[in-house]
Amino acid sequence: MAKRFVCRVADVPQNGLKEVEAEGGLKMLVASAAGEFFGYQAQCPHQDVSLCEGLYDGAVLTCHMHLWQWDIRTGAPMGIAEAPLQSFPLTVEGDAIYTGPQPSAIDVGELFRGLPAATLAQLSSHAASESHPAGAVLYKPGDPSDDIYVLDAGRVEFSIGRGEGAAPDGFMLKKGETFGWAALLEGHPQRIAGARCLENSTLLRISGKAALGVLENDPAAGFTVMRRLSGLIARYLASRGSG
Amino acid sequence: MRIRINARNRGFQYEAAPGETVLYAGLATGIELPYECATGTCGTCKAKLIEGSVRDAWPEAPGRKFVKSAQGECLLCQCVAEGDVTLEVAKFVQSTEPGACPVAAGAGVLRRPKLLTHDVMAFDVEFEQARDFEAGQFMVLAAPGVPGYRAYSMVNYERAPRRLAFVAKKKPGGGFSEWLFGEASDGAALRVFGPLGKATFRPGITNNLACIAGGSGIAGMMSILERAVGEGHFESHDGWLFFGVRRLADAFFLEELTALRERAPRLAITVALSDEPVPAEEAGRWPQLAFEQGFVHEVARRALQGRYQNIRAYVAGPPPAVDAALRLLLLEGKLTADHIRYDKFS
Repeated sequence: MAKRFVCRVADVPQNGLKEVEAEGGLKMLVASAAGEFFGYQAQCPHQDVSLCEGLYDGAVLTCHMHLWQWDIRTGAPMGIAEAPLQSFPLTVEGDAIYTGPQPSAIDVGELFRGLPAATLAQLSSHAASESHPAGAVLYKPGDPSDDIYVLDAGRVEFSIGRGEGAAPDGFMLKKGETFGWAALLEGHPQRIAGARCLENSTLLRISGKAALGVLENDPAAGFTVMRRLSGLIARYLASRGSG
Repeated sequence: MRIRINARNRGFQYEAAPGETVLYAGLATGIELPYECATGTCGTCKAKLIEGSVRDAWPEAPGRKFVKSAQGECLLCQCVAEGDVTLEVAKFVQSTEPGACPVAAGAGVLRRPKLLTHDVMAFDVEFEQARDFEAGQFMVLAAPGVPGYRAYSMVNYERAPRRLAFVAKKKPGGGFSEWLFGEASDGAALRVFGPLGKATFRPGITNNLACIAGGSGIAGMMSILERAVGEGHFESHDGWLFFGVRRLADAFFLEELTALRERAPRLAITVALSDEPVPAEEAGRWPQLAFEQGFVHEVARRALQGRYQNIRAYVAGPPPAVDAALRLLLLEGKLTADHIRYDKFS
């Protein structure tokens, strides 16, 4: 898709913030920092709060609600923030600011974001986009765990146990959230949970073997992905307390 | 009533007693459901009803502006299950950390209500059993015949206390506050839930402490400083307390603050007067305390200039004072948010 108009340079206060609706309807936050412009998601990734109401000193953006903070040049989380900002790269032509096509779910994905473009392109070449209606079962416990999934749009629910005994075990709703990790692990040939679409959902499906092959050819990227994957697994393990 | 919570990371199940809100029942079971004010204002405990039905205990709650009722959304702190229910919480939810002070509903008795200024009242709540809490935490209190809970920070700090001390500001239309300043009398039976809140101080941190409090926001700071002084924190660290009021006549706890400072000379205490120049003679009665004219964040700005290295800050008070203090700490002090503690319950 071609470049999309975002706003005029003059619309954004110097070292300030502006919420705009880009051509095509995408709401985004535009931040000016020492003469450069950065585009991000308009809402805080934590709760429904407009980031343009946040505190901003030209370098660090702080959401006023719970003080999540980000480096404005990268969108990387700082302090207590638990998630990065989704970035929309901007270009300036004359007095107009443009953004490019929407990044894919793999580009912004929690496992893959920030990897070298060539590696992302290879991963994307192995990804098949699938749409499933609400209620569709993606896999059941015991199914072979060949593929990983990256959520593009919609909502997917997990459950543990089978049939009547199945109990909810969390859900995913953000573009780029990744599940079916077993496909990247050694010695986990079967699904241990079930996954079902709660809404009409679009997913990118990648063969675990193919993804591992790509990562083997870029060991630095592979290391980053495995560190993130360990972090995700640890996060879920930490919630297995009582209750 | 069986409550099922589907959170982003897992599911939870627990029982709620008839009339008990879904939030309070979950917190008392050891499930860290999201909340901040726990009293219907902040909207943080927003959830979506999936199955069953709930009754909204306070349909006019200010926090309802954050929920879309048409889509089945509700506030966990206000909804009471009318049978088995399933709710979705679009957040990560963990179990309470081991060692946290137990959270429970209970009954307390109002003791020694006493006016400190024309619009601030101190009071105690007595319990039959000890109610442990962390310095900086709050309880929600409900008065007989007055609907809904209100949040108040504990002023004292001790282990296994049976008496919790509070202060309340007179607020027209504020249910509990109006009752307290009106018909309340020693011995009245209160309903209590808590302790709640994460803006706590525990020994072992290696930071200097900066506390910025507006008005009755001083309550939690008293508890934090009591604990910090008691643990000897200021033997090896600096401390600053800024206490903002309009006029000197609105200030309270000046004796208690003097006593804290006598035990901890590295703790500097400044009372900020926003609405009058410092009356020299009256202020002179408190030689251990400093007095300055200005809003509390302005007074803090002057004192903290160049001293933001290694600070842990606590902030409490009316929302404009809190916002101004946060601006100061983040934008000028360049503190990262993990060095700032505050609870949004005003």
